[in-house]
Amino acid sequence: MSSAGKSLPHDSAVGHVTGRALYLDDERPMLGELHVGFVGSPIAAGTLEAIDATEALALPGVVGCWTAADVPGHNLFGLISVDEPFLPAERVDYVGQPVAVIAAETPEALAAARRLVRVDCTEMPPVLDLDTAIREARFLTPQRRIARGDAGRELAKAPQRLSGVFRSGGQEQFYLESQAAIAYPGEEGRMVVHSSTQNTTEIQGVVAEMLGRGQHEVVAICKRMGGAFGGKETQASLPALMAALVAHHTGRPARVIYNKDDDMCVTGKRHEYVTRWDVGFEDDGRLLAIRFEFFSNGGAFTDLSPPVLDRTLLHADNCYYLPHVELLGRVCYTNVPPNTAFRGFGGPQAMAAMENVLESIAQHLDVDALDIRQRNLYGVGERNVTPYGQVVERNHLPEIFTQLAESCDYRRRREEIAAANAASRLTVRGLAITGVKFGISFTATFLNQGNALVNVYMDGTVQVSTGGTEMGQGLNTKIQQLVAEELGVDPRRVRLMPTSTEKNNNTSPTAASASTDINGAAAVKACREIKERLAAFAAGELAKQTGESGLQPRDVCFADDAVFSTHRPEHKIDFGGLCMAARRSRVDLGARGFFATPGIGFDQAAGQGTPFFYYTQGAAAVEVQVDRFTGELTVPRADLLIDIGRPINLGIDRGQVIGGFIQGLGWATAECLLYGERGELLSHSPTTYKIPAATDVPPVFNVALFDNDDNVQNIRRSKAVGEPPLMLGIAAWAAVKDALAQVDSAASRSFTLPATGEEILRCLSLAPQTAPQPSAAMPDG
Amino acid sequence: MRDSIVVFINGQRHEVRGPAALLTLSDYLRRQCGLVGTKIVCSEGDCGACTVLVGRPTADGQSLDYQPIDSCIRFMFQLDGTHVVSVEGIAEPGSLNAVQQAMVDCHGSQCGFCTPGFVMTMTGMLQNGGVGDEAAWKHGLTGNLCRCTGYTQILEAGAEAARQSSLTLNERYPAAELLAAISALAGDDVAIAGELADGEHAVTAPATLAAALEFLGEHPDATVAAGATDIGVRVNKTGVLPYRLLDVNRIAELDFVSVDDGVLHCGARASWAAIEEATTEIAPEFHRILNRFGGPQIRAAGTIAGNIANGSPIADSLPFLFVMQAEVETTSAAGTRTIPIDQFYLGYKQLALEPGELITGVQIPLPTAADQLRLYKISRRRDLDISTFTAGIRLRVDAGEITLARVALGGVGPTVVRASAAEAVLVGAPLEEATFRAAGDAAAREVAPISDVRGAAEYRRQLVRNIFVKYFLETAASATAGAL
Ligand SMILES: Cc1cc2nc3c(=O)[nH]c(=O)nc-3n(C[C@H](O)[C@H](O)[C@H](O)COP(=O)(O)OP(=O)(O)OC[C@H]3O[C@@H](n4cnc5c(N)ncnc54)[C@H](O)[C@@H]3O)c2cc1C
Ligand code: FES
Ligand code: FES
Repeated sequence: MSSAGKSLPHDSAVGHVTGRALYLDDERPMLGELHVGFVGSPIAAGTLEAIDATEALALPGVVGCWTAADVPGHNLFGLISVDEPFLPAERVDYVGQPVAVIAAETPEALAAARRLVRVDCTEMPPVLDLDTAIREARFLTPQRRIARGDAGRELAKAPQRLSGVFRSGGQEQFYLESQAAIAYPGEEGRMVVHSSTQNTTEIQGVVAEMLGRGQHEVVAICKRMGGAFGGKETQASLPALMAALVAHHTGRPARVIYNKDDDMCVTGKRHEYVTRWDVGFEDDGRLLAIRFEFFSNGGAFTDLSPPVLDRTLLHADNCYYLPHVELLGRVCYTNVPPNTAFRGFGGPQAMAAMENVLESIAQHLDVDALDIRQRNLYGVGERNVTPYGQVVERNHLPEIFTQLAESCDYRRRREEIAAANAASRLTVRGLAITGVKFGISFTATFLNQGNALVNVYMDGTVQVSTGGTEMGQGLNTKIQQLVAEELGVDPRRVRLMPTSTEKNNNTSPTAASASTDINGAAAVKACREIKERLAAFAAGELAKQTGESGLQPRDVCFADDAVFSTHRPEHKIDFGGLCMAARRSRVDLGARGFFATPGIGFDQAAGQGTPFFYYTQGAAAVEVQVDRFTGELTVPRADLLIDIGRPINLGIDRGQVIGGFIQGLGWATAECLLYGERGELLSHSPTTYKIPAATDVPPVFNVALFDNDDNVQNIRRSKAVGEPPLMLGIAAWAAVKDALAQVDSAASRSFTLPATGEEILRCLSLAPQTAPQPSAAMPDG
Repeated sequence: MRDSIVVFINGQRHEVRGPAALLTLSDYLRRQCGLVGTKIVCSEGDCGACTVLVGRPTADGQSLDYQPIDSCIRFMFQLDGTHVVSVEGIAEPGSLNAVQQAMVDCHGSQCGFCTPGFVMTMTGMLQNGGVGDEAAWKHGLTGNLCRCTGYTQILEAGAEAARQSSLTLNERYPAAELLAAISALAGDDVAIAGELADGEHAVTAPATLAAALEFLGEHPDATVAAGATDIGVRVNKTGVLPYRLLDVNRIAELDFVSVDDGVLHCGARASWAAIEEATTEIAPEFHRILNRFGGPQIRAAGTIAGNIANGSPIADSLPFLFVMQAEVETTSAAGTRTIPIDQFYLGYKQLALEPGELITGVQIPLPTAADQLRLYKISRRRDLDISTFTAGIRLRVDAGEITLARVALGGVGPTVVRASAAEAVLVGAPLEEATFRAAGDAAAREVAPISDVRGAAEYRRQLVRNIFVKYFLETAASATAGAL
C-alpha cells in the first residue's frame, strides 16, 4: 500500500471546515492573560523626543507601557545585517514603527490606551520613493553582480538594440491570519512563545537575545498559520518580542494579535523594483547580450533584502539563454517598513523584467512573441549554462512551450484575436505565453538542512515533528504520507505535531519551496532508522512464528499496516502488535533524521556556482481583454502547464499551482500599494487593497501537469511547487502589453506592472488616437 | 419596553442586555460564547471570514430564510428575533454537512482561515435550492476572499456539494418552535442601555415607525442604524460607538419593494438583495450594477436609505437615481415630504435632511422603452469593491436627434453630480460620435476630481471624457444588433 501519490485531504481539513482548527487568537485565554499592542511612530523619519503614556496608564484596565529602556537584553536584530531595533530609542524610520508596547486587561482598554500615548518626534525629511533613493544613492547593501562574457562589447556590436526602464510594484502578502504571538512566562525566567511564524528557530533566538537568556530557556512553537507567503519568515519576530517583553515584565501570559490595518501598515511586503535594461539581439530576435540593473526598495532595514536581490539576479535569465550578460543589483533604503520575503522571493521581479524585454523585442521586430521566446529558450545539451554557471539539467522548457502552445490553440487564437481587435472599437484583446524556471534551494546554502523526530508508539501509531511549519501549503499532509508510505501504515496512524524548538532545533525557515524536500527527506531518514531496528526484530519474530529459517531483516516487508516475510507474505504480524512486542524487547522506536541537500554551493562574491538542487519549470498562456475607454481588464482564459515531477499529493499540489497563479495574477494585474505624502500606507485593508476575488478566476482555466519522472535526485521524484506557479501570473501582464501594442506601440512602451485599469488607461491615452476614426458605428466583435 | 434582545444562536436562546448587546455579533460569538470558528480578518465587511447565516421568518411565515452576513459589522442589538447560525451549528455534532464534506474532499481549504466563512456562504447558497453553474458559484462567493486557494477547488467543492443532499437549516432547526418564539417578540419596543469605557450608551429598536419617529423627535441627535454596513465599519475603525442609536431593523413597515405605475417604491430598509431581485426584469441595467454592489453579505444587510444617507459620492445606486429623477421620502413627527434626489446633497456628506427626519422611502421612476440607459461602475476589482468612478447616462432620441439627456457622474467631486454642461451639449444634437466627444470634453471640464487611494484625478477625468463615446458605441451597437 502506498499513501504517497494520493490526494489525501489536508491533515487539518476537517478542522478547517468545522472551525475547530484553532489559530492563536482562538486559544482560550489563560487566567490573567494580557492583551498587548504597540504604539507606532507618527512620522516616517526623524528622532524620538519623548513617549508619554501617562494618560493611557490612567485608564482602567491598562497594565503597563514599555519602551526601549525596558528591554532587558538585545534590542537590535537582523538575520543578514543587525540593523533593526525591536523598539527604537532614538531614530524612527517609518510611519507606524513600533516604539512602545502596551498591555491591558481587555481589548477595549488596549485600543483606547493605544490612542492616548503621545509620541513626540523631530521630523527629518524622509526618502519616500525608489527614484529618490536611487538618485540620492541611498543604498542598504553594496552592489551585487553576476556576469558572463562581455555584455558591453556585444551590446555595442548587436544588429538590434533596445533599452528602457521597467517598473514593478510591491505586493502585500495578505495572509488572512494577521501576525500573532502569545508568550507564556515559565519558571525562573523561562519563556514559551507560541507564534504564527514560518521560523520557530528565529523566534526562539530573538526572544532569548531580547531577554538576555540562552536559547535553551526559550521554546518557540507554531501549530499552524492562517497563511504566511513569506510574510512570517522574519516579521513574526516583532509581535513575538512584544509578547515576550510583557510576559517578562508582568509574569503574566501576553497575547499580541495585530489587526489587519496595523499588520498591513507596519509589516514588509514584496519589493518594488526599478530595472534598467539594455538588450542586443539578432534580426530574428535571438538574444546576444543583455544588461540589467536592478534597484529594489528595501525599506528601512536590511531584513531579507540581500537574498531576495540574489534570487532576482539568479532568475533574470528566467527560461532563456543569455550569451553575454551583466546583472547588477542594489537594495535601496526608503522610509517604509522593511520589505521582506514573499512567495517568489525576488524571482517575479526578475522574470517580469525579462519577459518585458522579450515582449518589447517581439513588438519591435513585429514577430510573434512566442517565436521570440522559443528561439531563446535554454537548450537541451547546448545553450544550457546559466549566467552563474549552473547547467540546466533535465531541461523540459522546449517541450513545455510546444505542448502548451498546441494545447491552448495559440496560433489559431492569435488570428481570431487579431480579427476581433480589428472589428471592435470597444475592446482589445491580447495573448501571451510566458515561462518559469525556478531554482529550488535556499541561495544561502547553509539553510538547506532539516531535522525530523519520529516517535512510534506501542500501538503502532506515529508522531512526527519537523522544523517545517504548516501555513496551509500541506507540508504536514505530505510528510504524513511520506512517513506512512515508508512505514507501510495507513496515514491515519501518522500525526504531524506542532513545530517546536523543543523537538527540532536549529531549523531553517519554512521557505524557498523546499520544505517538503528537506523535512520530508529528514523524516524518511528517521523512519528508515526505526525500520532497520524493527526489521531485525521482526525477522526473529516471524521466524519464530512460521518456523522459517535464515530469515534476514532485508526479507522483512512493511506494508498494509503489518510486517511479513517476502517469502511468506500471507503470514503477517500487525504493525501495532509488532511495536508492542518490540518495546517489550527493548527496541528503540524513536529516531531523529537529518538531511542536508547534497551537491549545491554558491560563491556569492564570484557570482558563480550551483546554487540549486534542480529547477521547477512551467509556462502559462493567458488571454486578456481590455476596455479601450475605461482600461478595465478581464482575463477570459488561462492555460497552465507545469512540471512538478511526480506529485506526492496531487490535490494539494494542484492547489498550490492554482493558488500561486492567482496570487501572481493579483501582483501582475491588480494589487497596488499606495502611500500618502507623509509615507503612511493608504491601502491598508481589503477595502482599499484588492486581492483577486472569485470572479477574477478566468472562466476558462486549464491546469495541466507536465508528465515527468526524471527528477530522480529529489524525494520520490517530486518537485517543489510552492513558489514557481506564482510567476506564471506574469503571462497576464505580458498579454496586456500585447493588447496595448495592438492599439499602438506608443501605448505599450512605458507600460508598468501591475496592469491596473488606471495604468492601462494611462497607456491607452498615450496612443495618438484612443480609437480609430469610425467608418460607421460597429458592433463589438 | 424590553431592555434586552432575544436572539437564537445555533438553536439556543440568548437573552442579551447591557454592554453585551452593544457588541458586534462576531465579538459576541467569539468572546462571550467561545464560538471561535467565526474568524476575524478585516472588521470591515470586506473579506467574509466572519460570515454567519441569519434566519428570519419568510414572508409566508412558514419557515426561516437564512441570509449570509458579515458578523464583524453587525451589532447584537440589531438581531432581536433572529436565528444566527455559525459554523459550529450547521451540522449535527460529529458530522459534516455536504459543503463541509466536499470542501474536505476537493481540497477547498489550505490555511483554513477563510474556510469557515466560505462554508457558511456556500451552505447559505444551497439553502434556497440549487446553484446554477460555476459562474453562479463565483458570483455567490464574491463576498469571501481567499488568499491561498485561488478559489478553483472551492468552486469544485460547491459543485460537488450541490450533487449531495444534506439537511437544510430548516430541517436541522425545525422552524415551528423558532417562529413561535420570534413572533412573540415582534411587537415589543426594545431599549438597550449599556455602560462602555467611554460612558453610557443607549439604543432604541422600536417595532413601529411611529415609535421611531417619536423617539427621533425627542432625540434628533440619535444615529440611525440600518444594515450597519457603513456604520459598523466606522465604529470598528474609530473604536467609537455613538452614544444614542436608533435601530430601524425591527420596523416592518419600512421593508418593502413594490412597483406601481412604472415607479419602483422602496421602503427605507429594503435591502439591496431585495431590490436586486425585484429589478431583474423591470430595470435590468440597474440590476446589473446591483450585481456588483459589495458582495452577497453586504447586499443582504445594506439598505437603500443607508446608501443614500451615507452620502458617498461613489455610492453605486446614485447615478441611476439621479438620471431617473428619483425622490426621497422623508418623515418626521411633523409629517412627510419628498425631496428630488438631485437636491438631496448639499455638500460632501451633507444632506437636506432636517433634524428629527428619517428617510422612509424612495420612489424611482423606471426606464421605459423610450430611454436609452447605461450605468457604469469602474472599480479596481470587478466585485466587492467601492467605485472609483460611476456614471449614468440616459437619453431619449427622436429621428436621430437627442431630445432628452440626463447624465450623472460619481467619484469626480464631493457629491454625485448632474453633468449639466454635457447634457446641454447633448440635447438637440445629432446622435453621432462627434456629439459624444464634445459632451465628454464638456463634462471633463465641469468636474473637479481629486486623487485618492482609488485613483488619480487625471485617471478619473479621462474616464469622464471617455465614457460618453463608450456609451455611444455601446448603445449604437445594440441598436445595430437589434436591427439585424
Ligand atoms: C464591504 C463593503 C462593500 C460595500 N460595497 C459597496 C458598493 O459596492 N457600492 C456602494 O454604493 N456601497 C457599498 N458599500 C457601502 C454600504 O454597504 C452601502 O452604502 C449601504 O447601502 C449602506 O446601507 P446600510 O443599511 O448598511 O447603512 P448603515 O450603515 O446602517 O447606515 C449608513 C448611514 O445612513 C444613515 N441611515 C440609514 N438608514 C437611514 C434612514 N432610514 N434615514 C436616515 N438615515 C439613515 C445612517 O445613520 C448612516 O449614517 C459597501 C460597504 C462595505 C462594508
Ligand atoms: S472580518 Fe472581514 S468581513 Fe468580517
Ligand atoms: S485557505 Fe488560506 S485564505 Fe483561504
